[in-house]
Amino acid sequence: MSDEKLLVVTDLKTTFDTANGPLPAVGGVSFDLERNETLGIVGESGSGKTVLSRTIMGLQPRTKVSVTGSSVIDGFEVVGASENDKRKIWGTEVAMIFQDPMTSLNPVMRIGKQIDEALRVRLGMDKAAAKARAIELLELVGIPSPQERYNAYPGMLSGGMRQRVVIAIALACSPKLLMADEPTTGLDVTIQAQILNLLDELKDRLKMSVILVTHDLGVVATRTSRIIVMYAGRIVETGNTRDVFYHHRMPYTKALLESSPKVSNHSHTRLVTIPGRPPNLLSLPDGCAFAPRCSYATDQCHLVRPELEPSTEPGHTFACWNPLPINVEGALA
Amino acid sequence: MSDVRQPLLKVRDLEVTFHAHGHAVSAVAGVSFDIFEGETLGLVGESGCGKSTTGKALMRIVEPSSGTIELDGTNVATLSGKVLRAARTKMQMIFQDPISSLNPRRRVKDIVAEPLDCWNKVQGDERATIVHDLLSKVGIDPVVYGDRYARQFSGGQCQRISIARSLAMRPKLLICDEMVSALDVSVQAQILNLLEDLKAEYGLTLLFIAHDLAVVKNVSDRVAVMYLGKICEIGPADTLYESPAHPYTEFLLGAALEADPDSPMHSQTLEGEPPSPMNPPSGCRFRTRCPKATQKCADEEPLPQEVAPNHLVSCHYPLTITHKTPTPTAVDG
Amino acid sequence: MSSVDLVEVQILEGSRKRGEPLGVLFWICVGWIALNVFIAIFANVLPFQSPLNQDFTALNAAPSLHHLFGTDDLGRDILSRVAYGSRVSISVGVGAMIIGFGVGAPLGMLAAYRRGRFDAILTTVMYVMLAFPAIIATIAVLSFWTPRSLVKIIIVIGVASIPLVYRVIRTATLSVATKDYVIAAKVQGATDRRILMKELLPNIAPIGISFLLIGIATVVTLEGALAFLGLSVTAPTPSWGNMINEARTILQINPWLVIFPSLALCLFLLCLNFIGDRIRTHFDVTEVKL
Repeated sequence: MSDEKLLVVTDLKTTFDTANGPLPAVGGVSFDLERNETLGIVGESGSGKTVLSRTIMGLQPRTKVSVTGSSVIDGFEVVGASENDKRKIWGTEVAMIFQDPMTSLNPVMRIGKQIDEALRVRLGMDKAAAKARAIELLELVGIPSPQERYNAYPGMLSGGMRQRVVIAIALACSPKLLMADEPTTGLDVTIQAQILNLLDELKDRLKMSVILVTHDLGVVATRTSRIIVMYAGRIVETGNTRDVFYHHRMPYTKALLESSPKVSNHSHTRLVTIPGRPPNLLSLPDGCAFAPRCSYATDQCHLVRPELEPSTEPGHTFACWNPLPINVEGALA
Repeated sequence: MSDVRQPLLKVRDLEVTFHAHGHAVSAVAGVSFDIFEGETLGLVGESGCGKSTTGKALMRIVEPSSGTIELDGTNVATLSGKVLRAARTKMQMIFQDPISSLNPRRRVKDIVAEPLDCWNKVQGDERATIVHDLLSKVGIDPVVYGDRYARQFSGGQCQRISIARSLAMRPKLLICDEMVSALDVSVQAQILNLLEDLKAEYGLTLLFIAHDLAVVKNVSDRVAVMYLGKICEIGPADTLYESPAHPYTEFLLGAALEADPDSPMHSQTLEGEPPSPMNPPSGCRFRTRCPKATQKCADEEPLPQEVAPNHLVSCHYPLTITHKTPTPTAVDG
Repeated sequence: MSSVDLVEVQILEGSRKRGEPLGVLFWICVGWIALNVFIAIFANVLPFQSPLNQDFTALNAAPSLHHLFGTDDLGRDILSRVAYGSRVSISVGVGAMIIGFGVGAPLGMLAAYRRGRFDAILTTVMYVMLAFPAIIATIAVLSFWTPRSLVKIIIVIGVASIPLVYRVIRTATLSVATKDYVIAAKVQGATDRRILMKELLPNIAPIGISFLLIGIATVVTLEGALAFLGLSVTAPTPSWGNMINEARTILQINPWLVIFPSLALCLFLLCLNFIGDRIRTHFDVTEVKL
C-alpha cells in the first residue's frame, strides 16, 4: 500500500445560489485522511457536514451550486471532474451509505438484483458470478441465510437488515473509502451497536477508510481515531478523538459535549445548554459564527474570524480567539 | 419514594390489540404500572416494543382492548363522549415530530389558546394574558412571535410551543412521546431543562417515553423497560441503570453509546432482532435472544418479583443486584 | 430520530422568497376571469346589441366598427352572442361545481376523518359512480330528460362531478387527518366539528380551491361538448359551445363565427387553470417544510 494519503481536501467550498443570496453550506474546509483510518465528522444540523460529505465525492446538484477548492480521492481530483469521470470512481474508490435505508433501496426490486447491478455494470461480471458474489457480500455483512434473502424485497426486511443490505451494495466494488452519513440514526440502540461493530470489522478486513458523519457524539467516541467538529460550514476543531474529547480548546466542542445526556449521569442531572439557535447560513456574522452563542466571546470574536491553529498535541487544531486553557482534564466529569 | 403515597395514574393489565389483515397483533400485552404524583416515569424500549402505543392508549388515542387506566380515581378506559373529552384535559401529550404537531396554518397564539377555546374557558384580555404567560414560560417571545404562523419555526421552537399548548389546561399528567428525539443535541438539552423547570413550577407528573437511554435516565425518577409489549423491568432510575436485573436491560445498557472514548467497549452485543409481535414466543418473550434461557422460560411466563425496594423484574433468573459498583454500566461476564 | 438537515431547509427557504407575490400574470388572469363574470352578469345592462337581433344588411360580415366581431349567417352580432353565451357557459360551470362541492366536499372530509364503515361504504358507492364514464352518463341522461333547460344541465353535470370532488377532497383530508396536530386537538378536547373546521379545512382549502377552478374549466368544456352534440341549451339562446357547433357548417364562409367563441372559451379555461395551479403552489406549505 502506498504512503500517499487516501483523501486530501483543500479549501473546499460549496455555495448554493438561492433567491436570497449565496448560501455557503461549506465555507472552506481542509483536511486529509490516511488509509485504513476512521474519521468522524460531527456537527449539528446546519453545520454543513452532510453537504461536505457529498461534495467530497462530487455528489451535488448540477445547477445553482458552485464548488471551489479541491478534493482528491486516491489521486483523482473530484472538483471540476465530469459526471462520467466521477462515475468511474464512485463505487470503486468511494461509496456512500445514507441515513435512510428505505429510501436508498429500490422497494420494487429484489435485494439480490440491486447488488448484482453494481457488480455486472461496474465490474463486468457475468450473471452467475455476480450472484455468487452478491450472496458472498450478504454473508459478509451478516445477513442470515443469504441464499434466501437474495430474493427478498427491501420491504420484507427490518431496518437493521436493510442497512446491512445498503452496506453490502456500497462494498460491492471494494471501495477504498466508505462515506457513512448518519448510518445508524434511525435504528434502535442494540441494532446501532451491531451496525457500528460491523463497519469497524469490515474496515479492518477490507483495508478501507471510513468517514462517519453524525450528530451523535456517542457514535464517534469509541469508533474513530480522529474527529472533525463542524459549525456553520467550517471546521472549528479537529484532532485525535481522545484529544478532542478530553483536551478540547474550542468552547463549542465543550458545549456540545456537555449538552449531550450521558448514561453515567445521575438522574435529574442538569444539562449544560448552548443558548440561542444554530446560525442562519444566509447571514453569517463577519467574525466567529459561534460568537453570538459563546460565553467567552469578545469584540474580536465578533469582528474577525479565527483560523485553525495548532494546539499542543500533534494534529490537534482549533479555531478560536479565546481558547479554553490547555488540558482541561475533568471537564467531562 | 414511599409506598404510602397514592399513585396519580394506576395502569392495570393494559392491552392493545390491533387487527390487520386477519391477524391480531398484540402491541401492548398486559402492562401494569403506577405513576406517583410529582414523579417522572421513564419508559424505554426499542422500536416496536409498544412504548408509544402504551402512551397513546393512556390518552385513548388508540383504544385499549382491555385493562384499566385510573387517573386520579377515575377509570379513563371506560369513559366516552364529553366526559372523556373533559377527562383528557387532565393529561396531555407531546408528540415526537415537532413540526407535524402544530397546524401550519394557524397563528402561534391561537395554537396555544386552542385548549382554552375548546372549552370556552376564557375570552378577551384574560385569554391573551394566559397565552402571553405560557409563551414567555417556554421561552418564546409572545410579542414578537405570537402572530407568526407555526410553519415559520424550527423544530426546537415548535416543541416549545407544543409544551405551552399542553400546559394551557393545567394538566396533572404530561405524556412525552419521544419529544426530543428529532432535535439537535444542543436544542435537546434546552428542551429537557425547560421540561424540568416547568415540571417543578406546574407540579407536573411525567411519563417520558423515549428510546434514548441517556435522555431517559437524565429526566426520570423511575424507569420501566419494555420488550415486545411487556414491561420486563421497572425500578428507580439510578439503581436500575447501575445494576440491571433483567438480561435484556443489561444488553440494552451495554449497547448504549456513551459520548466518552474511555467508556468500556462491550464485546457482547445482543444478536438478532425482536420477534414479530404477531407471533410472540411462549413464556418469557425475551427467551429467544436470552443467553440464560432454559425450558422453564419457554413454559412459564415470569411474573414481576421484587429484587430490591421498588425494583421489580419479570425474569426467572434475574441478575444479582450489586449496588455501588465503580463502573455503572459494566457487564458481568 | 431522523433530523432534517437544516442546510437543506435553509436552501429551500432561501430559494423561495418570503412573501413572494403571486405574479403579474396571475393578476392578469384574475382580471380576465373577473371581466368575463362581470359581462356574463350584466350582459343585458351593458351596451350590447341584442344577441337575437338580425341585421339583414350584414350577413356573415367580417369584423367592422358596427359589428366588432362580425356577424353570423343570420346577421346576429357575434360580440353580443359571445357575451351572452358566457352566461350559459359560466353558470353551468359554477352551478355544477356548487352542487359537486356542496355534496362531495363535506362527504369527502367526513369520510376521511371518520374512516371505518362510513368511509368504506361511501367510498365504494362513489367508486361505482366513477366507474360509469361521466360524459356518456351525462349524454344519456340529457337525451331522455327533455325539454332541456339550464337548470337540468347544471344538475346532471353537478351530480356527475360529486364522486370526482369526493375523491380529491377525501385524499387531501386523509393526508392531513393523520397529522399529530389533529390528534393533539382531539386530546385537548376539541369536538369533531371544531377539528374539521379549524384544523382540517384550512389545510385542504388550497387544494380544494385549485380543484374547484380547474373543475369549473372542465365543466365549461363539457358544456361545449354537449352543445356540440346538440344536448345543451336549445337555439336561439347562445352558449360558447353551441356557437362553435353552429359555426362548423359555414366555417369556410365565415371563420369569425368559430374564432371568437373559441378564443373566449380558450382564454377562460387557460386563466382558470393557471390561477388554480398558482394558488396550489403558492399556499403549499409542504414544499418549504419538507
